[in-house]
Amino acid sequence: MLGFLFRRLGDIIPTFFGVTLLVFFLIRLIPGDPILMLAGERGVDPARYAELQAQYGFDQPIIVQYFDYLMGVFQGDLGKSFVTKKPVLDEFLTLFPATVELSIMGILFAIGIGVPLGVLAAIKRGTWVDHLTMSVSLTGYSMPIFWWALLLIMFFSTSLGWTPVSGRLSVFYFIEPTTGFMLIDTLISGEKGAFTSALSHLILPTIALGTIPMAVIARMTRSSMLEVLGEEYIRVARAKGLSPLRVIMVHALRNALIPVITVIGLQVGVLLAGAILTETIFSWPGIGKWIVEAMNRRDYPTIQGGILMIAFLVMSVNLIVDVLYGIINPRIRHKR
Amino acid sequence: MSENNTPSAAPVTQVADATVEPMGAPPSPLRETWDYFRKNRGAFAGLIVIAIILFLAVTAQWIAPYDPISQDRSAFLKPPIWMEGADPRYILGTDAVGRDILSRLIHGAQLSVSIGVVVVILSMVAGIVLGMVAGYFRGWIEVGIMRLMDIMLALPSLIMAMAIVAILGPGLENAMLAIAIVQLPHYVRLSRASVVSELNKEYVIASQIAGAGHMRQMFVNILPNCMAPLIVQGTLGISSAILDAAALGFLGLGAQPPLPEWGTMLAEAREFVGSAWWVITFPGLSILVTVLAFNLMGDGLRDALDPKMKR
Amino acid sequence: MALLEVKNLTVEFGSEDKPFRAVDSVSYSVDRGEVLGIVGESGSGKSVSSLAVMGLIDFPGRVTADSLTFDGQDLLGMSAKKRRQITGKDIAMIFQDPMSALNPCFTVEAQIMEALKVHEGGTKKQRRERTLDLLNQVGIPDPKSRMTAYPHQLSGGMSQRIVIAMAIACQPRLLIADEPTTALDVTIQAQIIDLLLKLQEDSDMGLLLITHDLALVSEAANRIQVMYAGQLFESGPADSIFAAPRHPYTQALLEALPERSEGHDRLRTIPGVVPGQYDRPAGCLLAPRCRYADDNCIKNRPDVTDFNGRDVRCFYPLNDQGQPTGQIDGQSTGGTV
Repeated sequence: MLGFLFRRLGDIIPTFFGVTLLVFFLIRLIPGDPILMLAGERGVDPARYAELQAQYGFDQPIIVQYFDYLMGVFQGDLGKSFVTKKPVLDEFLTLFPATVELSIMGILFAIGIGVPLGVLAAIKRGTWVDHLTMSVSLTGYSMPIFWWALLLIMFFSTSLGWTPVSGRLSVFYFIEPTTGFMLIDTLISGEKGAFTSALSHLILPTIALGTIPMAVIARMTRSSMLEVLGEEYIRVARAKGLSPLRVIMVHALRNALIPVITVIGLQVGVLLAGAILTETIFSWPGIGKWIVEAMNRRDYPTIQGGILMIAFLVMSVNLIVDVLYGIINPRIRHKR
Repeated sequence: MSENNTPSAAPVTQVADATVEPMGAPPSPLRETWDYFRKNRGAFAGLIVIAIILFLAVTAQWIAPYDPISQDRSAFLKPPIWMEGADPRYILGTDAVGRDILSRLIHGAQLSVSIGVVVVILSMVAGIVLGMVAGYFRGWIEVGIMRLMDIMLALPSLIMAMAIVAILGPGLENAMLAIAIVQLPHYVRLSRASVVSELNKEYVIASQIAGAGHMRQMFVNILPNCMAPLIVQGTLGISSAILDAAALGFLGLGAQPPLPEWGTMLAEAREFVGSAWWVITFPGLSILVTVLAFNLMGDGLRDALDPKMKR
Repeated sequence: MALLEVKNLTVEFGSEDKPFRAVDSVSYSVDRGEVLGIVGESGSGKSVSSLAVMGLIDFPGRVTADSLTFDGQDLLGMSAKKRRQITGKDIAMIFQDPMSALNPCFTVEAQIMEALKVHEGGTKKQRRERTLDLLNQVGIPDPKSRMTAYPHQLSGGMSQRIVIAMAIACQPRLLIADEPTTALDVTIQAQIIDLLLKLQEDSDMGLLLITHDLALVSEAANRIQVMYAGQLFESGPADSIFAAPRHPYTQALLEALPERSEGHDRLRTIPGVVPGQYDRPAGCLLAPRCRYADDNCIKNRPDVTDFNGRDVRCFYPLNDQGQPTGQIDGQSTGGTV
């Protein structure tokens, strides 16, 4: 197991350096002089220009600049935003819990709906239940989620008035962020109705964000389940006189979920990409919205730092999923 | 579905066929694939929808009732004709500046189809070349190329595409280029994997002994044998290209107004989410139907081309 | 009264109007303490008939029988729940491939204890002790350390012992063993059969031994049933079947045994294959492969008849000299040998 972990780390570390290289050169690839761009319309006098160049290290050879950047990254220095002048990492960490909260809800929605749908389709294979489930899944998979989000708002918020249109919390509440997770913070605050408000703000973004992963998970669960149901050990389990429910839930599902775990891990990238669109539409103050705004404002340090953090996040989650995979699948755990 | 597909399901006709043409040549691979594909109702439906969209795209100039960017100042936000207060000239209604939505959708089909096709061709050609080079020459070239692809895959595709557009500047061409770059790793990985598995086969060794050069080996001998998975990936790539382009358009980084790109149309329509459902519903529905059709066809092609599933 | 009583068991798959009969009106019975061998080639329906007894035939398949009783209880008429209480407890089954019969996600211990928990309850401690007993009983060396092993850590022979332990966990009165040694190394095969017979003798179980290996049943079984294409072809006491086969198919099977081919240049074989769903002959199912078949055999299907105290499905059962009796013209028209 430990050897396995080290092997995976050995794969990830060079990739991470590659990403730092990529985002470092990203800024250098931008046409135009970054200092002039930073100075904006007003322009800059030559003395100030040289000063700024020295400040940002642009007068150094490119290799030195990269190593300076790399050293900064390892010390948690991702530069300062052009717009807010605050450290990029601080901004990221402030907004990150909102995205995590939304993503966790999204993936829970995806697993909670996707796995049962997949199992149902597999046991009802070839019937209308199966066809319907798979049609829903394929539609979800093809869904432009920014449109899906608008449809949800149009139907549930503006027509029915059931859910709020945007934001994380009703303006009537003011909650001091302690964990950054609104559901937890509102619970801690003890303010009446705040938790319900936070929850109702989460519903539509969760559905919008979770739909594509849900579709992918449902499809994967179905095919994996079908394969497992044909295995001899399922017949053996039935020959023991176990109830059909126990055969499916204990013997089949555990095995069928092994490949599904990997797929769930791969959804983290999908979730983060989806978070960009979902957060933009629902004015959700997370890193997705933050990055889109940075791109629109051409706030390059923020773009650079944000992309690096997202890449780091995706790689870390994939590593965690690999480890989980090892835990659930004894065949991998015991391999040396 | 599988019941209809298994050859044993129609034993009587099979036997009859065998007696009519006892030594008949086996069906050509293309024909066999087509027969198989046709039996998959979903894939066939996808193909028909794609044919319709292609037709609309090609003939947009002639069949669209209006110019997609001309504005009728007497008809702002008119609902579709079956609604009260509609303007009978505009079947699906008009948008906030009085443009005919139907015409914009038809012209949007042209844009979306071109985006999908151009992106996939760009990405596939570059990806095949890189992947074949990596798989054929191995060594540090392979390590370098594949490591680069791993780095690109570490980032969610939309974020990567946004970053590229942020460098190149917003616009349709840059968005297409960005999406093509983002899709690259899939083709590189697929073609490399196929080349590596083909490389040790007898026919490759035989033609190497016969003196075939590297270029001939890679592109004449090996490539045709790796095409099946690439075709499937290409079909699915069209759908994700259309989806990503629409997302970029929606975020203001892709096609710019007044171009009738579906995602861009949605971005312009966003503020009417509470008042004019039609300006939001139809562009998104067009994206969904197109993407769904390509996905259905891609799935069908995968099943039809995968020899493991056929037997 | 026999332990298991099967009368005219039929299992059909496919559409209602054009069904495929995997098992066609098969009858047999197993007494306690008795070993019944069911012999046949692949596709003869021997596995399907045992799955039907276990109640493991799934929806598109249809099981019918004049009677299917275990210890006097009607297995077909009872509720699914009641039947599950018998399945795995009183009737247990061992499958062909031990490597795929164990669930890769659970330990040996968990899989054996599961059957105990469902049927016998008791405390976890009792179940664990019983499991340890069982592993000892089936001859697992160092059973304590094997308890927590996962299936992929076991060899084929070891896995089959675990599967057997799982099957006998609740002290079944009838054990169905479906080709229990086919997937194993030859050296292990004898060990497993000896183990099964010992367990059967010790606990006075009925044992239904399904195999294509005639040599194996000749040593193990009291009585033998020969099946072909879903039909019963011949049944009777093991020794008399071996001494004087009454059905041409049994005769051909016996001649195909290596030890009976002495003096021949090559092993004798039965040409052709068991008919499948779409190539069933109109007459006797064996006719295309039978050396004695005539027009009558090709056109008409024989029923099971009593011949010298043995059940035989043939128009012209063989006499003690191995020659067909009662043939009209004595001329063979079909078949190849």
